[in-house]
Amino acid sequence: MAYQVSIFLENKIGHLKQVTSVLKAADINIRSMHLNHTASGWGILNLVVSDPIKASRLLNDKGISTALRKIAALKMVDQPGGLDYLLGSIADAGVNFINAYGRVANDEKSAIFVLDIEDIPDAEMKLKQAGLEILSDHLVYGIKE
Amino acid sequence: MLYWEKEIETLDRTSLERLQVERLKKTISQACGSDYYGKQYKSKNITPEKINSIKHIQDLPFTTKEDLRSHFPWGFLSIPKKDVVRLHSSSGTTGNPTVIFHNRHDLSSWANLMARSLFTAGVRDTDVFQNIAGYGLFTGGLGFQYGIERLGCLSIPAGAGNSLRQIKLMRDYGTTVAHAIPSYLGRLFDVFKEEGLDPKKDTQLRKLVIGAEPHTEEHRRRIEEMFGVKAYNSFGLSEMNGPGVAFECEEQNGLHIWEDAYIVEIIDPKTFEPVHEGEIGELVMTTLDREAMPLIRYRTRDLTRFLPGTCSCGITHRRIDRIAGRSDDMFILKGCNIFPMQVEGILMKLPEVGEDYRIILEKIGDQDEMIIEVEVKKEWFRGDVNFLDRLQKQIERLIRDEVLVRPIIKLVEFGSIPKSDGKAVRVIDRRN
Repeated sequence: MAYQVSIFLENKIGHLKQVTSVLKAADINIRSMHLNHTASGWGILNLVVSDPIKASRLLNDKGISTALRKIAALKMVDQPGGLDYLLGSIADAGVNFINAYGRVANDEKSAIFVLDIEDIPDAEMKLKQAGLEILSDHLVYGIKE
Repeated sequence: MLYWEKEIETLDRTSLERLQVERLKKTISQACGSDYYGKQYKSKNITPEKINSIKHIQDLPFTTKEDLRSHFPWGFLSIPKKDVVRLHSSSGTTGNPTVIFHNRHDLSSWANLMARSLFTAGVRDTDVFQNIAGYGLFTGGLGFQYGIERLGCLSIPAGAGNSLRQIKLMRDYGTTVAHAIPSYLGRLFDVFKEEGLDPKKDTQLRKLVIGAEPHTEEHRRRIEEMFGVKAYNSFGLSEMNGPGVAFECEEQNGLHIWEDAYIVEIIDPKTFEPVHEGEIGELVMTTLDREAMPLIRYRTRDLTRFLPGTCSCGITHRRIDRIAGRSDDMFILKGCNIFPMQVEGILMKLPEVGEDYRIILEKIGDQDEMIIEVEVKKEWFRGDVNFLDRLQKQIERLIRDEVLVRPIIKLVEFGSIPKSDGKAVRVIDRRN
């Protein structure tokens, strides 16, 4: 089961850097990120990192509010139409998601589409049943074997 | 039912009032030794002989904070300076501070009232009492200290702040009772958690005493939940000594105000007439057992009401409700009168919201706005934008329904609202 780290941030200069400096000091690598923002001056930063449990704990120690949310990292081809095809499969699986973001993979051919499945019951099972490949944790986190 | 001083605490109303009249006569006599009352009473021909019933107190003029300030420092001193053994003073950052003088008798009387108050809340001489309050000119420190010692507990004069040290003291000495201001206890609890500790399991606390700033019933309940013990409300003001003026008994239904030591009136601050039974008004107090600096019909600016009826604990001294706010806490926004306690009452009902909040009044464009900074508790952050958005709108709606003005709710990072070791500053008015 893979996790992203969701972080509550106020929209102020320096606040995002507070997060990255904690990660840097702990030698934790960011694999993918998504920053959203609301009109009320705060937002949520979602990060896929190399060690989400440790990152979450370290950020909490610094007084930063974090949550670990389950993700499903799906493999897709890095080509025009790649996401379109993938979305068809996800729809067939009956999975309605609210948050997702992507990154290219290291092999230059594929990409990784990260789905937030925290609030979607039986998401993993549904995706697998639809024939989708959910990447293993160590691939998601970029941990070399 | 045990009492610290059974006879005086259970005295029937008629005898109590007779005692008050006797003491008021003595107080007027004593007060005439001061420049202020001496001159005023002479010019108005006020003498102790004119007082024969408790109603006659209404013939005496009020004393205000401005009077105290404008006669700083010695205008209200009623005894020779060499007999004064202590003074307490307010911070007075703008203009003159207010100063209260005490002689030995005053300190002893105050210590007794404090001991009586603590005993009423169930504190006993077998308790280990940690006083987490500022020692110095702030009366919460020394005021409690003398009362704790008079009662016979093992006192730990811990002082304010330094949460790690407070926790260590509690664990080293088995603290059973602690006194602190409510806004500090939320932070102390956070530090417990950060250290991987739970006050319910890792301390011997059996009681808390809270006071020095107005706080809602909801806030008190939160504190009780956090620490797993009852938290008793304590009321006082330095002009009336300090803590030990009124205190909750174990019923926790109103604070008994000591009517052998004070004449207590509640007036309409606009008409100066006594309010109807049970109505909220301004607390006006007269000292009955102070020699160095008696105060007569002092307008406290604290708003409260008498609770009707008698208390099942048997104490005949009346109860006042928790302080609703200070008349000068109130601010006006878009023509509506708003008290910070109204906002607090709503925020504290929401488990997602932390105990620290701030109300900022600002002019945005050509409109006055109320921005309320609210901290979301860490355990409630799930990384879900919708949840936070809904929470924000919910708070907005609840507050608008209560104060009739729509606030701007700003969710801020947990722990980001500036804190002080002393009383929490809840309102910042930037409109000028």
